[in-house]
Amino acid sequence: MKRIFTSFLLFLTFLAIVGITSCGRKAVLNIYSWAEYVPQEVIEQFEEEFNCRIVYDTYDSNETMYTKLRAGGAGYDIVFPSGDYTSIMIREGMLKNIDRTKIPNLANLDPRVTAKINYDPEHEYSVPYMIGTTGIAVNTRYFSEYPRSWRILEMEEVRGKATLLDDMREVMGAALKTLGYSVNSLEKEQLNEAKELVLLWKDSVAKFDNELFAKGVVSGEFWVVHGYGENIFYEATEDEIEDIDFFIPEEGSTLWIDNMVILKDSKHSDLAHEFINFILRPDISAEISDYLLLPSPNSKAAELLTEEPIYELADLENCEMIEDIGEDLVLFNDIWNEIRFGL
Amino acid sequence: MNRSSLPGIVYSLPGIAWLSFFFLIPYIIIIIYSFLTPGIYGGVTLPFSLESYTRMLTSPGYWELLWQTVWISVMATVICLGLSLPVAYYIATSKRKNLLLTLVVIPFWTNFLVRIFAWMLVLGRTGLVNSFLLWTGLIEQPLQLMYRPATVIVVIVYMYLPYMILPLYSSIEKFDFTLLEAGMDLGANRNEAILKVLIPSIKGGIIAGVILVFIPALGSYAIPDLVGGTEGAMLGNLIAKQLTVARNWPSSSAISMIFLLISTLGLLVYLRMNAIQARVRRFRVREDYMKEQEQ
Repeated sequence: MKRIFTSFLLFLTFLAIVGITSCGRKAVLNIYSWAEYVPQEVIEQFEEEFNCRIVYDTYDSNETMYTKLRAGGAGYDIVFPSGDYTSIMIREGMLKNIDRTKIPNLANLDPRVTAKINYDPEHEYSVPYMIGTTGIAVNTRYFSEYPRSWRILEMEEVRGKATLLDDMREVMGAALKTLGYSVNSLEKEQLNEAKELVLLWKDSVAKFDNELFAKGVVSGEFWVVHGYGENIFYEATEDEIEDIDFFIPEEGSTLWIDNMVILKDSKHSDLAHEFINFILRPDISAEISDYLLLPSPNSKAAELLTEEPIYELADLENCEMIEDIGEDLVLFNDIWNEIRFGL
Repeated sequence: MNRSSLPGIVYSLPGIAWLSFFFLIPYIIIIIYSFLTPGIYGGVTLPFSLESYTRMLTSPGYWELLWQTVWISVMATVICLGLSLPVAYYIATSKRKNLLLTLVVIPFWTNFLVRIFAWMLVLGRTGLVNSFLLWTGLIEQPLQLMYRPATVIVVIVYMYLPYMILPLYSSIEKFDFTLLEAGMDLGANRNEAILKVLIPSIKGGIIAGVILVFIPALGSYAIPDLVGGTEGAMLGNLIAKQLTVARNWPSSSAISMIFLLISTLGLLVYLRMNAIQARVRRFRVREDYMKEQEQ
């Protein structure tokens, strides 16, 4: 018995030693990002070129990511927050200053994108990864006559077959835009009007949803969904894509820029800089745009694209960036709690 | 000192340490947070405040949501109990117990979320039920089966059914079925015998099953989030929203306290009932003893 125990212990020690040495050989870069956002091929190419290993962990909303980091989630090197949360994380001192000399490819960024960045115009803490908008997707197999407007949600035909994002700023932003206001409006009157509009929409949507809209609209479970084009087209096969009409409503929509930032307590800062520089390389940037079907924020990547993106940078003129509104968030919260939970 | 005479406390130390670390301390943190002021960007700050509680207690919306949450959980528990009793009875009296028990446990081999998604394939607009009904010509338009409060109940029942069947099975299995025959010999019909003889003797299993289903059902988050629609939200969803989107940690802590309160109350009632029963039992034993003495 004793001998079995000893040999078992020896075996464990052996495993531990093997484990430690093989881990110790390669540096690890810990990325915390949206699901299916960085193509696996890009990750593998980086691992190969820089002889390291990437651990890719995912979140489904800026809020989830931020709460986890605030509650002590540690060990991540690079995170992909959107603009409003980038500015919050800068203000809360959660980010490391980016050494721009280590990222020569910053020069590749399209000035039309950088012009929109007001939360960190000098890229002291953040570098844009992708830019895009939130729109409406319709499955045209089921119905084909509709306005290319947010008002599509008010049509009798779509009752019970539509979804809105379960995202306070996105939904309120859509309503505010429909009414001709700013998505960052803090005017009580305007917010109340927007609330009434969302309550009207709530009557006709099946649910507020962040998880199923893409699969749902492709399968026909939903006819009209509010969501991100890249998620929807990711779910569709070549044939199914034919039936999906994604549009930016004529009233305008929200604009988002997701950024790569390095966390203050990152232990692999050099590798993280290399990663950001790698993403900004024209060939890699084009590969990512082709994968997500989003316009490239990289001016040198434009000619390398092999796929046509869902929309072009020029289409985003009428889209407005969601900005951090600090403690006024409570105005939105109260309205959202009323809409979602009847509080 | 003899090793086997170590006091029980020594053996239970690891358990106590585990519970205090991973259960008690987090709960104390939640209690403290619930009395603090929310930071603008999440977290909590001083001063201490009752704001989260006063807001919760004075807003009728919270009470309605609490009512909806409790109602959904009670319905799910009752349906689970109703479905499980015959199943557990059948398994306990069957010759193929092991096979049947394995079948009950098999769903656990699949991930919880995957099983919720499977319901969408069953109840969805283009799902099995609707396709079948359309095919038979009974309906012309797909029925709205998903995204209703009732859908939440159906899926909760499905998820927690095994937690009701297993304790019921284990108490029915120990039941002496000759007692049923005795009851019927003494004039009870079959239903009366089950109601008055079987049910009281498997009460422990029923209570265990009810606790195991009701408490987790109360704290449901993923099920109402995915299949609940615009009117099927439960308190768990509000807690998550307050913590993340609203960045109001004290508020979500205060709402969590409702759960702690309900479960503690339930447990107290249970303990109290046990204590009363034990006293009754002791009393009867003493009575029997005194009768023997008299004789």
